[in-house]
Amino acid sequence: MAVETDVSQDGKKLTIKIKGRFDFGKHQAFREAYERQPRRPDAVIVDLQEVTYLDSSALGMLLLLRDHAGGDEADVRVVHANCDVRKILAISNFDKLFDIS
Amino acid sequence: MADMHIDHKVLSDLREIMEDGYLQLVQTFLDDSERRLGQLHAARSAVELGAAAHSFKGSSSNMGAVALATLCQELEDKARHPPLLGIEDLINRIDLEFAEVQRFYRAEHHRISAG
Amino acid sequence: MADELGLTVLVAEDGAVDRLLLAQIVRRQGHEVFTAENGQQAVDVFKARRPQLVLLDALMPVMDGFEAARQIKALAGETLVPIIFLTALNEEQALVRCLEAGGDDFLAKPYSAVILAAKIRAMDRLRRLQATVLDQRDQIARHHHHLLNEQRVAKAVFDKVAHSGCLDAPNIRFLQSPYALFNGDLMLAALTPSGDMRVLLGDFTGHGLPAAVGAMPLAEVFYGMTAKGYGMAQVLREMNAKLKRILPGDMFCCALLVNLSMQRGAVEVWNGGMPDGFLLSTGGKVLSALSSRHLPLGVLGAEQFDDQTEVWPLAPGERLLLMSDGVLETADDQERLFGEQRLRAVLADNRNPALLFDELLDALQRFGGRARDDVSLCDIRMLGAQLPQPMAMLPQDLGRCSAMDWSLNFDVRGESLRRFNPVPYLVQLLQEIHGLRSSAGTLYSVLSELYSNALEHGVLGLDSRLKCDAPGFADYYQERARRLQVIEEGYVRINLAVEPLAAGGRLKVEVRDSGEGFDVQRVLAQPLPEQGLSGRGMALVRRLSTVARWTEGGRCAHVEFIW
Repeated sequence: MAVETDVSQDGKKLTIKIKGRFDFGKHQAFREAYERQPRRPDAVIVDLQEVTYLDSSALGMLLLLRDHAGGDEADVRVVHANCDVRKILAISNFDKLFDIS
Repeated sequence: MADMHIDHKVLSDLREIMEDGYLQLVQTFLDDSERRLGQLHAARSAVELGAAAHSFKGSSSNMGAVALATLCQELEDKARHPPLLGIEDLINRIDLEFAEVQRFYRAEHHRISAG
Repeated sequence: MADELGLTVLVAEDGAVDRLLLAQIVRRQGHEVFTAENGQQAVDVFKARRPQLVLLDALMPVMDGFEAARQIKALAGETLVPIIFLTALNEEQALVRCLEAGGDDFLAKPYSAVILAAKIRAMDRLRRLQATVLDQRDQIARHHHHLLNEQRVAKAVFDKVAHSGCLDAPNIRFLQSPYALFNGDLMLAALTPSGDMRVLLGDFTGHGLPAAVGAMPLAEVFYGMTAKGYGMAQVLREMNAKLKRILPGDMFCCALLVNLSMQRGAVEVWNGGMPDGFLLSTGGKVLSALSSRHLPLGVLGAEQFDDQTEVWPLAPGERLLLMSDGVLETADDQERLFGEQRLRAVLADNRNPALLFDELLDALQRFGGRARDDVSLCDIRMLGAQLPQPMAMLPQDLGRCSAMDWSLNFDVRGESLRRFNPVPYLVQLLQEIHGLRSSAGTLYSVLSELYSNALEHGVLGLDSRLKCDAPGFADYYQERARRLQVIEEGYVRINLAVEPLAAGGRLKVEVRDSGEGFDVQRVLAQPLPEQGLSGRGMALVRRLSTVARWTEGGRCAHVEFIW
């Protein structure tokens, strides 16, 4: 599965893991990952460890996720991003909106 | 006698498939096969002989004349590998076998037209 | 066992017996049968009846099966007409010949009705699959055609809205693909009334029409507000708000906005998500990189949007090099990217700045080969200060030219000073005066100068002598931003008075600030270059107006225009 989800025991933490190219092809699967949850999690973790490529449509998808998770009040973390991915996130200053590590 | 010369499974399939056209098929075979035998005898080269044997083999097998078809196959193979040893003998055996087949199908023709 | 299939089938077989038998077998399976006795007849019948499936004897007189098969396949063209060879041939070579001639399958003698039925069914599946593929291909081609047409129309509309502005100015060189719009790439340039040159490089997310559609409202805001003289911060806020409102949540626009002020010898920069721009010396050395410090436009709400710009000094002859990410992402045939290092190498190797543009294009060409639609490049050379040209303002209702007699007092106080710049509004108002219309540029320059002096030196108490070098520049504008951020008290008061004269009229402008004032005589007495950058402003004001004097210890500037 190119987009995997995992919910913590207490249902408060949702982890979405992307594999391969994070581009428009993942649009549907990514949305379903967070829209299909029965209750809104307190924190969402987007794991990019196995992401090989990321483009502006991925940035857009992250924005939609953030809106869905509560907008400015949302706790969305982007983790395990490699060097190239971090550079893309940095140029767009997405670290002002997401916790990136 | 018919068992050695005609495959009865093929025969019954033929009757079933052709339905009302069975008579016409038999007639066509009788006419066609005589002509082919003539071609065989008239062949002047190995190539012609091989071709004639090949065609005769096809229609024979379709009519269930398995022994005849086998002989034709033999003739076709031989014609491809000169010198042509024992050709005369083989052609004779074909003549004999064909006579049996012809006899059978003439009887068939008679049976159907009368019936 | 009649099938649902019901195809039309051609049986080409020279043996009368075999032909009869096979035709009957096929007919019984529910198909319509045409027959042929030799290869030539087979081709003729095919031409006349166009059967959907062909059973072909390999060895036939007149024309053999192989040649007939070739001709039939040629006649069938794109459509798949399966050919099943009838063969007693039991040599592999012969079978290979069948395949090479275009045969799709074989049927051996004696004919088995069961096997034939299975083969016909399988071939028919293939036949229908091919037909579906062709149909879908045609549908796709039609849709594609429609899309291309829609894009053509969109581009025509966009070109009307986004005209090239001042991209054709002599100090700008640029490169942009005609299809840039559909990659979301945008390049706009316009002059402010005071002659500042403002350039926007944009990159919308997405491709095709969705990317293009956001460009139109953005271009309208850019051109409209720039022509009216609004500052960068205001234009940015408006563009951000507009995009935030109209674009879906996952769409945004990376943007690099620069404002070259020949008067101030400075360039003001805002970069949200675009690759670095470069400031280059007259010799072509990189003075600094203009990096992205902000989120792209259309992401943040008005409350969080950061309109903070950076200001750098820029002398005549120095340049700006701006580019879209298509430049860095140009790939070679091994999918390696051109990247920042190669770009820096081109910049470093350059000896003649006038050739930099071409050298960069050349380097991209040699590296990547294939031209990309999303490479946008812009090279802007800084010019010296010029007198503002009479500006062609946006079309307005030319009212009666009656004499005007009015006055207006406008106070900007306290926290309002942080965001609100009244100059564009006041200039708009002054457009009502027919005789002043052609001097809009002049009025704008003078009012802007007076207002910014009143705000920066008066209210905020900044010392313009800081702006003597690049670090000083940065410090000055950082300090300006900081002091504005915490401002609570203070004011700038503008008074406009218009009175008629015998032939024409007079406009009196007074700008007062709540600051400490300054030693007017001393500043004016200094030779021009030493007056510093604000000193240059005072000389400009004096040159552009009929009367100019500073009173109340420097806290009040009084300027008059007579027409």
